Amino acid sequence: METTSVHDTVVQGTAQDAADSRQSACLQGYFEDPFASQFVRRPTRRSPVVNRGTYCRFIGLHSILRKFLATCRDQGQASQIVSLGAGSDTTFFLLYHLGLAPTRFFEVDFPEVTSRKCLKIHQKKALRNCLDQDTVQVGKNGTELYSPSYTLLAGDLRCFPTELGPQLLAQGLDPSVPTLFLSECVLIYMDSPHADAIIRWAATHMLSTFFLTYEQIQPEDAFGQMMISNLRQRGLELRGITAYPDLASQAQRYRDLGWEHSQALSIKEIYHALPKNEIDRINRLEMLDELEEFDLLGDHYCITWAFKTADTNLRQSWQHIRPTNLSS
Amino acid sequence: MGSSDLDRQIRMLRNCEIISELEVKELCYKAREILIEESNVQQVDAPVTICGDIHGQFYDLKELFRVGGECPDTNYLFMGDFVDRGFYSVETFLLLLALKVRYPDRITLIRGNHESRQITQVYGFYDECLRKYGSANVWRYCCEIFDYLSLAAIIGDKIFCVHGGLSPVIQTVDQIRTIDRKQEVPHTGAMCDLLWSDPDDISEWGLSPRGAGYLFGESAVKSFLAVNDLDLIARAHQLVMEGYKLMFDEKIVTVWSAPNYCYRCGNVAAILEFDENLEKTFKIFHATPQEARGVPSKKPVPDYFL
Repeated sequence: METTSVHDTVVQGTAQDAADSRQSACLQGYFEDPFASQFVRRPTRRSPVVNRGTYCRFIGLHSILRKFLATCRDQGQASQIVSLGAGSDTTFFLLYHLGLAPTRFFEVDFPEVTSRKCLKIHQKKALRNCLDQDTVQVGKNGTELYSPSYTLLAGDLRCFPTELGPQLLAQGLDPSVPTLFLSECVLIYMDSPHADAIIRWAATHMLSTFFLTYEQIQPEDAFGQMMISNLRQRGLELRGITAYPDLASQAQRYRDLGWEHSQALSIKEIYHALPKNEIDRINRLEMLDELEEFDLLGDHYCITWAFKTADTNLRQSWQHIRPTNLSS
Repeated sequence: MGSSDLDRQIRMLRNCEIISELEVKELCYKAREILIEESNVQQVDAPVTICGDIHGQFYDLKELFRVGGECPDTNYLFMGDFVDRGFYSVETFLLLLALKVRYPDRITLIRGNHESRQITQVYGFYDECLRKYGSANVWRYCCEIFDYLSLAAIIGDKIFCVHGGLSPVIQTVDQIRTIDRKQEVPHTGAMCDLLWSDPDDISEWGLSPRGAGYLFGESAVKSFLAVNDLDLIARAHQLVMEGYKLMFDEKIVTVWSAPNYCYRCGNVAAILEFDENLEKTFKIFHATPQEARGVPSKKPVPDYFL
């Protein structure tokens, strides 16, 4: 494992930033996540433009993720989710609460992050209640947590094929079960060969698999340049952004790494594809005067999804998966 | 308040130092006496330099004055949105207001949609006043002044200047003159539309995605100009990455004067000079470098999705 650098520490800090943003959007009524408050010390109020972007990210990712789970359920198949660099994400708890949890849910992150999450789960009843408490075990000095439904593993994603991948398999990740890999602002902080190795590993080891990524694009224009320089001031490097700088290269990436189908949409496209009644609803939540700024921000983030499967039924359903409709 | 007091306050504000609450109260009282005499549609003589949104970006306003010339050497028209979003709305608005009181014939301020009690409570000016003065009094004094700001201006009888744009219920400039403007910006109606609307590639009128005002198209612009014997509409309100944007056969221009808006957008800014013959010259300027901003009261760290 590589030694922890200053950059790693800053990247680990983004987990809190994301949790604060999620809680802010929930408090304003954009979406419901009863677990958002569990990872926040005191609520921060983000600007309307950031709340709306956080909402689009949530809707885009969750609508795809839930459709993936629904197709597995419809076909009577088990399902697995592997959340890469999960940070303080609440997805497992939210899915469990909604009765939609997959057969197994794995999270991997730096030990500094997983130990905090282990502790939170231990401290917070609302989180603990989502697990069958008789079966929960903690290991590796409190950095890992094992249970039949939810597993939290510690490691360095840059060593995925040699360390975390085999660890996941050893902990019961079943290559024959349809599996979705989720990465939210994670791959982009790594040099792209390290990130590509994870994407390739998933395509090679899993029989039927889905990949879902959310990250920054468009580093070349004026907004993108400012984004890179502002994040650099905070000590954050978007190391992967130049290798996959736009929607086309984001989608192509997966096809080049062994996936059969892939698509990418910007957050702005996802917002404008929302049903009209939903746009009306969020327009009533708070006044958003900064439309041009929202479009700029939305142009610089994208959701990419890809799949690979030998199962014709799954392929049939997965082909039609699109973001933005949460109802299915 | 003597003029030496006022000059001292202008000197302080130019250094990005706030003046006392009592001084703000007196300044607003003087400003009100001047603004109350101004028409809803102020007549402005050329030459004049027009400016778009500033949004509390004080150090960029200083750069604007460096590029365009200091007031009163240059005659200015600011088209609203002095406050919110940036870190120095207090200093920005009070400096412009102090210049208005000191040189009433050399600077014109018209109202933007952010010069409103409701909007400033969401977008930062209210919080900034509380933070810098410990009470909401200064915010209250400023909001009272917002109600007295003109809604539009006409330069040399030919150029109509407004923050947002046109309204479907307004055909003539005289109709704007009959509005009772001394109120909070309403949610609908002519006064709201002037401050909220945007030009768009539609034929006449459309619903605005902002939830206030309208979208207005080329034929709406051309008929308004023809009916009122005008040549051009100049407005602000929308971020333009290049600082300005001409539309509809150059019959409408958007001017944006907040470079690197919200310390995040990476855009350049513009001001527009009209000479005595109403010939246009755009001047582009960039955000002030970090080192020229002194020690910021709050380090600008814009939000992203991480």
